Amino acid sequence: MSDTTSTGNLEEEQQTTSRFLTFTSDNLVFGVSTDNVIEIITNYMIRPLPMVPDYIRGIINLRGQIIPVMDMRLKLGKPFMEYTASTCIIILEIDSLHIGIAVDSVLQVQNINTALASPIPIENRQELTNLMLSLEDGTVVLLLDCEAVIRGSL
Amino acid sequence: MDNTTDSLLETFLFETNSLLEQLDERLINAEKAGSFTEDDVNEIFRSMHTIKGSSAMLEYQSLTEVAHHIEDLFFYIRENGMDTLDEEQKSELFDLMFKSMDRLGEDITRVENNQPLDADITDFTNEINSFLKRIQKKDADSSPSALSKAASPDVSPSKMDAPYLLRVFFEPDCGMENLRSFMLVTALEDKDLTFQFFPEDVETNSSTVGTIAENGFLLGFSSEKDAQSAIRVLKSTSNIHTYELISNQSNMQEEAGIPETAVPGKTNHTPPAGSTLLAGGSAPASHTKQSLISVNLSKLDKLMAVVGEIVITESMVIASPDLQNVKLDNFLKSARQLRKLTDDLQDIAMSLRIVPVSSVFQKMNRIVRDMKKTLNKDVRLTIIGEDTEVDKTIVDSISDPIMHIVRNSMDHGIEDTVEERLEAGKEAQAEIILSAKHTGSEVIISVEDDGKGMDTDAILAKASRNGLLTKPVEEYSKKEILSLLMLPGFSTNSEVTEFSGRGVGLDVVRKNVEAIGGVVSITSEEGKGSKTTLKLPLTLAIVDGMEISIGGNIFTIPIANIRQSFKATNEDIILDASGHEIIKCMDEFFPIVRIRDLFHMEEGFTDIDDGIMMWVEASDKSYCIFVDQLIGEQQVVVKPFPPYLNNFNIKHSGISGCTVLGDGNISIILDIGSIYTAAQEIF
Repeated sequence: MSDTTSTGNLEEEQQTTSRFLTFTSDNLVFGVSTDNVIEIITNYMIRPLPMVPDYIRGIINLRGQIIPVMDMRLKLGKPFMEYTASTCIIILEIDSLHIGIAVDSVLQVQNINTALASPIPIENRQELTNLMLSLEDGTVVLLLDCEAVIRGSL
Repeated sequence: MDNTTDSLLETFLFETNSLLEQLDERLINAEKAGSFTEDDVNEIFRSMHTIKGSSAMLEYQSLTEVAHHIEDLFFYIRENGMDTLDEEQKSELFDLMFKSMDRLGEDITRVENNQPLDADITDFTNEINSFLKRIQKKDADSSPSALSKAASPDVSPSKMDAPYLLRVFFEPDCGMENLRSFMLVTALEDKDLTFQFFPEDVETNSSTVGTIAENGFLLGFSSEKDAQSAIRVLKSTSNIHTYELISNQSNMQEEAGIPETAVPGKTNHTPPAGSTLLAGGSAPASHTKQSLISVNLSKLDKLMAVVGEIVITESMVIASPDLQNVKLDNFLKSARQLRKLTDDLQDIAMSLRIVPVSSVFQKMNRIVRDMKKTLNKDVRLTIIGEDTEVDKTIVDSISDPIMHIVRNSMDHGIEDTVEERLEAGKEAQAEIILSAKHTGSEVIISVEDDGKGMDTDAILAKASRNGLLTKPVEEYSKKEILSLLMLPGFSTNSEVTEFSGRGVGLDVVRKNVEAIGGVVSITSEEGKGSKTTLKLPLTLAIVDGMEISIGGNIFTIPIANIRQSFKATNEDIILDASGHEIIKCMDEFFPIVRIRDLFHMEEGFTDIDDGIMMWVEASDKSYCIFVDQLIGEQQVVVKPFPPYLNNFNIKHSGISGCTVLGDGNISIILDIGSIYTAAQEIF
């Protein structure tokens, strides 16, 4: 990213920079705003539900609250990978709805300047993500569109 | 000070809203009967009095005046009865009363939302006054004076011949001395004291403010005892600066001055309002003393949550792996006792929040009445099962949905002209039936009309136009077509009427109902009528269930639905013409539903010899379920599914909720009724 920022730009940059949690699923790096992240859990028993799409793995009991779990890989149309002890479930809160997403691994929390992100150029792409950007080290992060996650199938 | 004002305000709003609701009901019944009973009259007066006093205390000037004018209107009726009015005037009177109540209601809502009140009530006042003028033979336009029971004809201070006088001064800057004096009068009357007071017309004449500020407000008592009682009342009244007891007989002047800071006058007004509340409904004029207490709903929520956790934890203790295979007679005995106590605790906790749906149903009376006039349709509302009791949060959430549905029925459902109905062979008067009933673990509320039914073609066409169809027109079943009505942005009305047509009604209804874990369904027959049914769970129901396992997964079946369990063999299975499995049980034949197949599970017994057959029943459906194992009876706390899952329509596939078991695992509760329906659709 360019380093030519004047003080005015610095302020603007701070306004559009927010914290994101990055995670991987099928070797793609995604980012979700930490405003939506409640917690990250591992090793939870998921109770499968009948009659739901395959990407809904089931429900879990989180301290008394019933939360549905969605598999990122299946939702993205990727092949399913069996859950191991290190598979993480990120519990999100979107519009006061709670949902967990099962991902391959969780990376870190970092500041991302959304002003530098651009819409994904491909038509008919996966609707779950709406923006993408490159980080300083070259990794490409796809930003998750939370609203799309809870929209569910029609 | 802020704390006390807030709780004062809360009490005021709660009381006033309750009073207005009761009054509404009374008015509707009175209108049906054509006149007011003496009980009605007294009730209306008392309520208006209370509202006026409370509003004055909180310094809502316009509210006070509005309530006052309603009293004027009513005073005439009380004094002269309804017989002097002709039919048109009677109907106008009722309209005016309803309008006034609405006006009060609107103002109360403004107060609730912290908005300023509309200080301009001249239009309103004029309407009432002109009506009064018209119905009075003579030309009286001044508000009636002597409204208080203890009033006696003109008494000037010098003529007050009471032996004991109390002269009361209010705090210099408190304002509205006239109304405060009047409130004092009311408070004293409630103590059943007889007395005189001057100036007489404090209630209506605001120029008495000056007189009172200068000379004080005079109260005359016939005995010292009465005077002392009055002093006790004074001590708990706010804004009293000084008072002096003047003994007229002797020339002694006892002066007792107690400057008081603004102590909340709550005690003053809660008794009258409280007793009015309690005596509302069918009670006679004397106030029956019931012990009621109003509790914050959030406290009850917390209580319910804790009780629920206790049930789960109790199961965990009893089923603790540490205790397996150990002989524990005394422990088991105590455990049984504990179980009994927690059962009782549950029942009581649940009953705290349960209220009858009548409050919601009665409101519908008003809606039907108003719409009857505006739409010019003759409709009667029949209410069945209004005593059905449901959790308070459910009652609160269904109020708006039911209103929408009733409005829809009246607006779209019922035919526009009587001729249409007669031609169809129906009675001239249309009927809307609002009913509520329990079925084990659910409450079913339905709104049924005998109107013209719904035109499925028109619905499909409209949905198509709005781009709401997801599959070809021919593939829609009637049920699915009717569900299209509940999609956002849908409306078959070509124009928007005052009541409906904006397309926001039914989808909001469905959202609200699903938010409390319920289901909405619509059935209709063209020409005959339509019916909208709401199936609601009894929230936080604690259900007696039987744990079963299929394919390693645990499910729960409510015991109320189970008739029998038995082992069957392959030879017992009979096939019908289409290849469906049937089994004989107790001399009758029942279809078999294999849960494993229905839910597309990967594991589970397939051989009838290995598993267990359960004969289950739900309302009118009776059939057998094939499961792997019976685990045992378990009392479970029902948790509704997260709302996100409603996107996938799981309720219709046979699961109604889930529960957390003692070991932390989740068990899914089967809905016996919808499993059968789901199975039907597949096979």
